[in-house]
Amino acid sequence: MIEIKNLYKTFDKTAVLNGLNLHVREGETKVIIGRSGVGKSVLLKSIVGLVRPESGSIVVDGQELMGLDERGFDRVRKDIGLVFQGGALFDSLNVGENVAFHLDEFTRIRGEERRERIARALSFVGMREIEGLMPSQLSGGMRKRVSLARVLCREPRIILYDEPTSEVDPITADAINNLIVEMRNRLKVTSIVVTHDMNAAYKIADTIAMFYQGQVIADGTPEEIRHCRHPFVRQFISGESQGAITEDENIKFGHVR
Amino acid sequence: MARAWVVFRYGLRYVGSLVLLLGQSLACAVTPPFNAYRFLYQARRVGLGTFFISSVGAFFIGAIISLQMAYLMVSLSAEIYIPNVVAIALARELGPVMTAIIVAGRIGAGITAEIGTMTVTEQIDALKAFAVNPVRYLVVPRLLALLLMVPILTVFAVLAGILGGFVICHFKLSIQHHTYWNMVVTALVLKDVVTGLLKTFFFAAVIAIVGCWEGMNVRGGADGVGKATTLAVVRSFIFIILIDCVLTFIFYFVFNA
Repeated sequence: MIEIKNLYKTFDKTAVLNGLNLHVREGETKVIIGRSGVGKSVLLKSIVGLVRPESGSIVVDGQELMGLDERGFDRVRKDIGLVFQGGALFDSLNVGENVAFHLDEFTRIRGEERRERIARALSFVGMREIEGLMPSQLSGGMRKRVSLARVLCREPRIILYDEPTSEVDPITADAINNLIVEMRNRLKVTSIVVTHDMNAAYKIADTIAMFYQGQVIADGTPEEIRHCRHPFVRQFISGESQGAITEDENIKFGHVR
Repeated sequence: MARAWVVFRYGLRYVGSLVLLLGQSLACAVTPPFNAYRFLYQARRVGLGTFFISSVGAFFIGAIISLQMAYLMVSLSAEIYIPNVVAIALARELGPVMTAIIVAGRIGAGITAEIGTMTVTEQIDALKAFAVNPVRYLVVPRLLALLLMVPILTVFAVLAGILGGFVICHFKLSIQHHTYWNMVVTALVLKDVVTGLLKTFFFAAVIAIVGCWEGMNVRGGADGVGKATTLAVVRSFIFIILIDCVLTFIFYFVFNA
């Protein structure tokens, strides 16, 4: 479904993606873990064409995305939903207009059907009767859920989540995790989820891939990752401040990033 | 010398990117889908937001010109020609430039701040991820709104300025009201009005394109938005004066107007 091979992307002479390889099967939820700045969000943005890698290959549903122009990407983007880290709700539109954004821009669905679609998407993320609120009136967790509802309203086949549970309380985080699981079970959506939250990763993942310095250093089921002996993986999943990763960064950069 | 060359190259690249954005916007403006609502919303914002301040400003400018001219003309017993000077100065030069500067300060700054905030909160990326062209969605309505409203605001500003001149001429210099209006109508010929209004389209395009470009190219957070807003206003002022100078030269030397 999504096949990434030898992907390279550099920012200011720093290789963020450094020959990255990743495979995501249809209907699978792939969780990506790794320290900040290892290229997780860059990968998601590369898949929807917001970031253009220098070389490599990104194949989605058999279509090569590298080298596509904006119009080509626009066709691909209609099948892919990206849930941004901060929600990225449109400030000038209320919740209902945000959720119905795709309908208003690309379809002729109006009136009662539009209202139903908005209500259905919002109720799927556990919210109702908030269509008239503005994004500035929402809490962080609500913004994320509305952002997910906005993506759901498009009915994409692939959803990319950029840290969906960061900056939200544990209860809201668990509700969002349940939603992601429900998306896979009910709608058979293929997902890539970037997260730092290992509890969330174990709960929602079919497979987990760990990024380190622009490459995948481990890829397996939650159980395989839990018992992985790779020292970098061990330090990350145990969340210890000292270990193989920090030692390696000390050697390479002279300090812990 | 090397520094001057760097500045020149930067300036050239900057102007090139503005021209490119203008070209993209015009191309989007003449190709479907069209969205009248966004255009009318922006036009209302520009018109209502600037009408009062530009008219009041022009009223006092008209009064000031009358007073300043009276200082010289009374000693020459030529105060009867003050209405001519007021009308021509406002229609050809002061009305368009003053209105453009007020619109740049009020609307241009707002455009940069709004789009800049959208950029740093990933709303522009969200538009792209939804397969919506940000130029079509954000720049085109603002460009068209300014192209419509700046000439209209200028007409009202010129009328207000002539009224300001009338107050001084009538109450201070005892020029009869019918004499004042006769002199104004006699002095103004079509080419004065046309050259003045023609400038406003260029000014409107500058305000819209500089404001949008600065907003879409914000780097950093709130600090970046603040800097971009200041830059947009300063650069718009410079471009307005430069374009005014060039057009006045062209009208004078090429069209003898």
